[in-house]
Amino acid sequence: MIYPPVSVDVHRGPLLLSGIERGPGLTAHRARLGALPEPGGEALVGLLNEVGVRGRGGAGFPLARKLQTVIHSGGSRPGVTSRRPFVVVNAAEGEPASAKDSALLDVAPHLVLDGAVIAARAIGAREIHLVSSEDRPWVAAAVHRAIAERDDDPIRFVQHVAASRFVSGQSRALIELMAGRPGLPVTSWAPEAVAGHRRRPTLLSNAESFAHLAAVVLWGVDGYAAHGTPAEPGTSLLTLTTPPGHDGAFTDVHVVEVEHGADAASVLDAAALAAPLLVGGFSGSWVHPDHVPQLRWSNAVLGEVGARLGAGALLSLSDGSCPVSETARYTDYLAGESAGRCGPCRNGLPALSDEMRGLADGADTRRRLRELAGLVTGRGACAHPDGTARLVGSLLTTLEGHVEAHLDGDCGCAMTRDQRQHLATRSRVVLR
Amino acid sequence: MSPRESVLKVDWPQCRARGLCAELLPERIRVDEWGYPVVFGPVPREEERLAREAVSACPRSALHLLTT
Repeated sequence: MIYPPVSVDVHRGPLLLSGIERGPGLTAHRARLGALPEPGGEALVGLLNEVGVRGRGGAGFPLARKLQTVIHSGGSRPGVTSRRPFVVVNAAEGEPASAKDSALLDVAPHLVLDGAVIAARAIGAREIHLVSSEDRPWVAAAVHRAIAERDDDPIRFVQHVAASRFVSGQSRALIELMAGRPGLPVTSWAPEAVAGHRRRPTLLSNAESFAHLAAVVLWGVDGYAAHGTPAEPGTSLLTLTTPPGHDGAFTDVHVVEVEHGADAASVLDAAALAAPLLVGGFSGSWVHPDHVPQLRWSNAVLGEVGARLGAGALLSLSDGSCPVSETARYTDYLAGESAGRCGPCRNGLPALSDEMRGLADGADTRRRLRELAGLVTGRGACAHPDGTARLVGSLLTTLEGHVEAHLDGDCGCAMTRDQRQHLATRSRVVLR
Repeated sequence: MSPRESVLKVDWPQCRARGLCAELLPERIRVDEWGYPVVFGPVPREEERLAREAVSACPRSALHLLTT
């Protein structure tokens, strides 16, 4: 198993994390940023469009377009009693290598709630649903405390707790959970913005996305765009970490806020600048150490090396861990996290995990790994198989040299024979 | 105006690899090593009738023909 971090160092940042020394309370928050403006729907779409805010849950969908769809999908329809939209704040953070949403709600909950309230007023929603995860109970507590301080009448907050599972944070899984069914991914026939909670238009986005929405409104377009680059204004939250220990616990976790376009050295130390970097968490892509120092925190630059920021989780092998063994370990974890509902994922991920274990143990399973990665991609209700295939595929492509060296037995791999044995005898995936 | 296009979409959590779709529409559907359907490309006009048959034959109602 791999568990989300319990202790996180949160660093002061230029925008979202600029007031953290004043504490998470509402009084300090309002004193610093003033009363909450109430832009209308189209005005808010315009503001978000101008600075190009993208969702921060991983997929990076433009927030303005999502909001626009919600607005267009509202209004009365024959046979439907109400089309009043909902707002859903996704803080489930199923990715254990990420801690930025939980950290943000811990240190600046009112920025997230402000974003949700501004959005709710703009689209005429009366309910804001907030989903956090069972394995990070302090997030629900922080949100609960913050809600108790506020009065956003007639808007009502509803909290939900998702099961501790990698796929629990997937948007359709949230809609399922809110409907009282098991919170697992199902096939989506329409975007949540068209038919989400109770089949009504639903503005569902990641917690950090709502904080950016609030920042654009509270700081104004100019204040927001004073950070970042003209092509990618603003900032992003990143979680920086190194591989979890053998007990599955992360020990060295930092959450930082970077301006888009800032260079790698602004957040990575010398050891991390010279080591393989996993960008986008366990379902992300490896970046070769030769490319790490030239990286900039911008999707345009990351795209050139086949990576994307995703939810902003960065895992560095600066501790000298072997990328092959680590990928095998994460693949094993991801296979165990399959909800087991879709055949290609239920069968394909354990097979991928077996072959990755084989590769870590020195067998050249690359051909079969590529075949399996191709076979699971795009064939599920959610992107869990795609993410797992991406992790494995990027190891074989980006870190090809490391894989060759590992197979030749001279990669300097720190893994002992005993550890390999341990990995090889790990229990198989339990089907539910 | 772009010409309309029909695509087959599998409702993965519903699918139990019964395999009827691949038997009825081998032009578009084969099965993977676990028996689950692999769909090839959009459905051309002349295959739409066969595709609809495959859709209605699925005992799990897991195959859908979407026309845009």
